[in-house]
Amino acid sequence: MTAALSVRDLTVNFGALVAVNAMSFDAAPGRITSVIGPNGAGKSSLFNLISGAIRPTAGRVQLDGRDVTGQPPYRLLAAGLARSFQITNLFFELPVFENLRLAAQIHETPLKALLPTRRSARALDRAEELLDRFGLTAKAQELAGNLSHGEQRRLEIAVALAARPRVLLLDEPTQGMSHGDTAETADMIRRLAGEMTVLLIEHDIGVVMALSDHVVVMHQGRKLAEGAPAVVRADPAVQAAYFGHA
Amino acid sequence: MRSPMAEFLDYTQFVLAPQVLNGLSLGVAVILMALGLTIIFGLLDVINMAHGEFYAIGAFLALALGALGLNFWILLALVPLLMVPLGWLTERALIQRVFHSRERHILTLLLTFGFGMILEDVLKLVFGANTQKPPMPITGGTEILGVFLPNYRLFLILFGAALILAVWVAVFRTRLGAMVRAAAYDKDMASSLGVPVRAVYSGTFAFGVALAGLSGVLLAPIYSVFPTMGRDFILMAFTVVIVGGMGSIQGAVVAGILLTQVQAISSLYISPVWTDPLVFGIMVMVLMVRPQGLFGRLGNA
Amino acid sequence: MLIDRAPAPTLPRARDAVHAIAVLFFTAALALGALGWWAGDSFYLRLATEALIFAGLAMSVDILLGYTGLLSLGQALWFGVGAYTSAVILRDVAASFWLAMGATLVVTTLAGTVGGLIANRVKGVYFALITFGLAQVVAKVVYNTRELGASDGLIGVPEITIPLGFATVDAANPAGFFLLVLALVALLYAGLAYLMDAPFGRTLIAIRANEKRVPFLGFNPLVHRMLAYVLAANVAALAGALYPMLRGFVSPELLFFQTSGNAVITVIVGGVGTLIGPVVGSVLLTALRSVVGTWTEHHLIVIGVLFMLSVVVMPKGLVGAVRPWLQRRLSGSESPR
Repeated sequence: MTAALSVRDLTVNFGALVAVNAMSFDAAPGRITSVIGPNGAGKSSLFNLISGAIRPTAGRVQLDGRDVTGQPPYRLLAAGLARSFQITNLFFELPVFENLRLAAQIHETPLKALLPTRRSARALDRAEELLDRFGLTAKAQELAGNLSHGEQRRLEIAVALAARPRVLLLDEPTQGMSHGDTAETADMIRRLAGEMTVLLIEHDIGVVMALSDHVVVMHQGRKLAEGAPAVVRADPAVQAAYFGHA
Repeated sequence: MRSPMAEFLDYTQFVLAPQVLNGLSLGVAVILMALGLTIIFGLLDVINMAHGEFYAIGAFLALALGALGLNFWILLALVPLLMVPLGWLTERALIQRVFHSRERHILTLLLTFGFGMILEDVLKLVFGANTQKPPMPITGGTEILGVFLPNYRLFLILFGAALILAVWVAVFRTRLGAMVRAAAYDKDMASSLGVPVRAVYSGTFAFGVALAGLSGVLLAPIYSVFPTMGRDFILMAFTVVIVGGMGSIQGAVVAGILLTQVQAISSLYISPVWTDPLVFGIMVMVLMVRPQGLFGRLGNA
Repeated sequence: MLIDRAPAPTLPRARDAVHAIAVLFFTAALALGALGWWAGDSFYLRLATEALIFAGLAMSVDILLGYTGLLSLGQALWFGVGAYTSAVILRDVAASFWLAMGATLVVTTLAGTVGGLIANRVKGVYFALITFGLAQVVAKVVYNTRELGASDGLIGVPEITIPLGFATVDAANPAGFFLLVLALVALLYAGLAYLMDAPFGRTLIAIRANEKRVPFLGFNPLVHRMLAYVLAANVAALAGALYPMLRGFVSPELLFFQTSGNAVITVIVGGVGTLIGPVVGSVLLTALRSVVGTWTEHHLIVIGVLFMLSVVVMPKGLVGAVRPWLQRRLSGSESPR
């Protein structure tokens, strides 16, 4: 079975600093793969490389066996890869609904961009469906900037989901969430796994261990270990580098 | 038949050298203007669109005080001092008002643009729209290596060069300059180290404005004085700042000399009216290929 | 721009209020035009026509500033390209309105694409500077080119008659030409307001709001900034093309920074990101200049103060200031779409 997302020897350096150093791993289709590691391990840089935010110095990224290395984010989105951001990255002065409508416009033909917005029925339907699914219907006309932190985090995921990606990158989706919200979000991510491949960066080790099918551990830009959650947890090197500090 | 060598020497002496020296006197004046602009941008991220009007105010102050009988040498010190409170107040009343907004680049640009309009009209109101010419403070001329140069231009080059050097020393070799650079590099860090950041901001803006005023005093005898005198001159200063790198002192000096020399020398070969498009074209090219300019900005230098 | 305080231009109720202002404005203009025609006036009609022409330039600045988040300090460049293209066509090729407008669109689209590729290499304050520099280069070139009349400009543009199918308008007739320009500006407004509310315009608004997220939604921001730039250039140029028909001449001053700066002032005072704000602003500022101009030549002080006040205390401009009041008066029912 080909991996939904395959990363080979991916490397990027910023000047003398090698932020990501020869990373290789696969994300199996329909599964949740987590990337963990201490602060500064290079997890966010890894996500930026995979999602096209920055270009790698070396290495390759494949989506369903197709090489997509160095492609810009809008191409990757069309190829089926979407992402959310650790630091909420929404259109704060636009309504919640408009945030989702923008993200769902990808489902329409380019010509629809010039027709009245109400003619983009698929995008509008998708946006409404997501409002409902993320419990934001009551806030549809609220500006995204006026939402609570928890609601913004939910919208952040909803915006990434709007395109119906086959591979979804979630960068610390539960960041700053309350206990209850975290559990709810974890449930939501688990349900997503049937529909798509999920690659997750998460600080909450409990969430990682409960959700992941596969865990990749990063340390100082390199891959330290990978395997099933239980295997990784038992790895002495991982315990020394990561759990040892926790 | 004269030898090609003799012709070349004649050309150098009678055509090229005077042009280079004239360009140098303009270059020094442009650099003084550009220094104020670039220091203000380097520290405050403010594109001061009213800089040309501050220059005009300096020239008018010199004209008015000169008419009261004050001597040029006193004006050279007095006018910049008078400009300081104006600059300080402008910074406190205008720049600080929008300084913490996310769009401060654009907002401060718009505010200083509006303020410049008002200042220009105030100058018209007070002094009238006519062109006036203060007396030349130094008369006569000197022959240097066979090139004749008016003494005032010579003074301008030497005094301007000394001033540019003084600014450089002030920014890079004094405690005060270190504070400014620290604030430009990281204002929170500077603040926690005891740098009075707010005062440094106002003071730096006032310093830039004083430099503009001083340029006004120095150039008034050459270019005459009128309310819109800042308009064309500021375009050149802006070009210098952009080409040199917004916020870079070295950049302003290098680009100031480079561009005024391009202007001076090219006018020997093409019609002088085409030197402006040439210089602005260079600016556009630099913005396209290297928007940060030739040199990095203040805090990082 | 002025993002952090100006409300998003897409809120449905705010949009209704803006449309109401537009309808009110164009109705009032029509009524005043009729009054001018009845009174046999020519001075005020010509002045109002000029205000409407410069309103077109201001709208083009608003497309970039209010919708896409790009401050152009050189939009007069495109106004000038339109004015000169139109003048050359009318004077040297054929005195045809439609040919002049068509040629303006072709020339501006080609030149605007080149200009857009240059200007869109950079963002933010550098975009402002590069647009300024581009306009400056072209203005100086025009100023020096004898074939384009150099510093005197092109004079002797013939008075034209404009066949509209159902009627023929004489450009020399103040009321007729006023009505034509009013209709064109109204059409331009309606077309742009429609486009800015369609998904295309909303993508521009998204770029203004948060350009960094836009590529992750599948849009190429550069392509959209280019489209916005060329669109805005054409709007400015179409307005500029009307200028020689009104005045019979064009001069390099049309390309100077004063013209670009005035357009930015007009947009900010009128209401950035509203499209009708720039139109209202242009008419009000022209009226102000002419009223203040009758008792003092120092109208720059008044306009400068108004402009600065707009930036500091009224960032949404005049239209933004009356909008909440109008919104409350309009029906509250709304769909999320």
